Amino acid sequence: MISFCGITKRFGQRLALDDLTLDIPAGEIFGLLGHNGAGKSTAIGILLGQVWPTSGRASIDGHDVLGDRQRALARVGAIFETPVFYDYLSGYRNLEILSHYTGPTPPARIREVLDWVGLSSRSHSKLRTYSHGMRTRLALAQALLPDPRLLILDEPGDGLDPEGLHELRGMIRRLHGEFNLTILLSSHLLTEVEQVCGRIAVLKAGCLVFSGTVVEATRQQGWVRLRSDAFELAAARLLEQGLVVDQRNGDSIRLAEGVGVEEVVRALVAQGRAVYEISPQEQTLEDFYLAIMGSGVARTRQPGCPGPVSDGLRGTSEMGGDRT
Amino acid sequence: MNLFLRQLGNELWKLFGKKRTYIGFGTFLVAQNAMLLAFHFSDWQQGTARLLEGNGYLAEEFISALTVAVLMLIPQIILLMPLYACLVGGDMVAKESEEGTLRMILCRPISRVRLLTLKWLAGMVFCVVLVASLGVMAVLFARLWFPWGGLFVFAPGPVRVFGIFTGWEGLAYYGASHLILAINACTMFGLAFLFSSFNMKPAAATILALSFLLLNLVMEAMPFFEEYKELCLTHHFRGWLLVFQTPVDWLRLGQSLGILLGVNLTAFLVGLAGFHCRDIKS
Repeated sequence: MISFCGITKRFGQRLALDDLTLDIPAGEIFGLLGHNGAGKSTAIGILLGQVWPTSGRASIDGHDVLGDRQRALARVGAIFETPVFYDYLSGYRNLEILSHYTGPTPPARIREVLDWVGLSSRSHSKLRTYSHGMRTRLALAQALLPDPRLLILDEPGDGLDPEGLHELRGMIRRLHGEFNLTILLSSHLLTEVEQVCGRIAVLKAGCLVFSGTVVEATRQQGWVRLRSDAFELAAARLLEQGLVVDQRNGDSIRLAEGVGVEEVVRALVAQGRAVYEISPQEQTLEDFYLAIMGSGVARTRQPGCPGPVSDGLRGTSEMGGDRT
Repeated sequence: MNLFLRQLGNELWKLFGKKRTYIGFGTFLVAQNAMLLAFHFSDWQQGTARLLEGNGYLAEEFISALTVAVLMLIPQIILLMPLYACLVGGDMVAKESEEGTLRMILCRPISRVRLLTLKWLAGMVFCVVLVASLGVMAVLFARLWFPWGGLFVFAPGPVRVFGIFTGWEGLAYYGASHLILAINACTMFGLAFLFSSFNMKPAAATILALSFLLLNLVMEAMPFFEEYKELCLTHHFRGWLLVFQTPVDWLRLGQSLGILLGVNLTAFLVGLAGFHCRDIKS
């Protein structure tokens, strides 16, 4: 659906994006994470044809954004940075004006999206009377107007209160569920991303440092939660047998490379231990993110272009596991 | 074409929906009425009567609404029109960029060339409406204080004009001069629009355009610049006065109009190139 291929962007001397190669498949809710200035907005700007890359190319649905912007963006809806409207016009008029930049839009379609975001009753009020939440909903309405297949949301939750965030999360899920939209979500709100996104990419100082599923990101590599009788003795025995390389907190073991959970269970049963629980240990996305940002990890690189982006924790494999 | 007209209509709606668009119209209204009061209650009428009678014309016939309207135009054209044309031109792209609405627009599959063309055309329409309003308001308000009659135009400056016309003939020339004034306003707007298309604040675009015009005016007024005054835009802005010359200097008028149209087109193309190459970033 979306393909960044070797995108580099410099603003003068500052390198904003460094050889970004990333594919986002259709039908995903994809989270784009990174610190301020990591290059998220630059990447989205390039995708929308608002920022010219220094090198590389970006495409949507196979249409090059630089060479064939009109086709590439024909079925794209976006909220890019803070949504701003014409305060002196009504919500309806704002949508009408914006929709005509895409193509002729029947009034029924405008009413339909206004209804969908729950703004029908206030559609003819001047924008200056709208609350922040209503503006966010209007922004979502304008993004939905062209009947998009791809929705790009850049920090859509900025400034929303917990109720607003909850409502937004629900809307994103509905959009994905009801219309099977591909959604690219750039956000600082990691809990939101964790709750709605299936896959994520993390940018750090313009470099792609992780791309993979949220499950991959939150799974601590090699660490397994173990509940059995006499944990310390059992763990010591497993260490002696070379099946485990570390243990911690009286409930976690780290498997040796190439060792599967089934071998550990077999060894424990052979020891005559009762095994109550054995499961992969998980961390929050925030833990993972902070670890990745705090470490000097090597970037993931994808040789050749185009092609699938590097999946999983390549280059970052030890980050989660080393944290205690 | 239908979509293009609809988009142009939307640009005009945005432009005329803003209160600050009407600052120019409001100021013209106040300035014209202040000048009318000055003409009515000062000794301007006696001075003009002496000038007309000294040249063998009947003064009462030419101290009229049309004559006063033309007189009122001169200071407004020199001082106010550049200000408001440049204010709107400077806002046209830079204000949308500053506020963030330009990013919202460019999330849509409209090309930058088309968007800038729409905005430029909307600005041109604004300039024509501004000049037309200026002209109509001047005659209407002048008519409240002065009778209908012939038109007398006297301009002693660089363009020497001494024109005497009957009422309806004068009105036709008055209309023709406004066509040229509209081209002047479009050129002023176009300069500010050019700067506005680059990555700068709206106020900076307006100030740059006004500075350029002022520099032209100053250079043109310098005696040692006499030979090069045709390089100054302000020299060509005086075409509207040439209409009242008898006979009309068509060559000079044609040259001035050609240069203004050329400057307009060049400013648009340079602005377009700048707008096309720039990154739209907050």
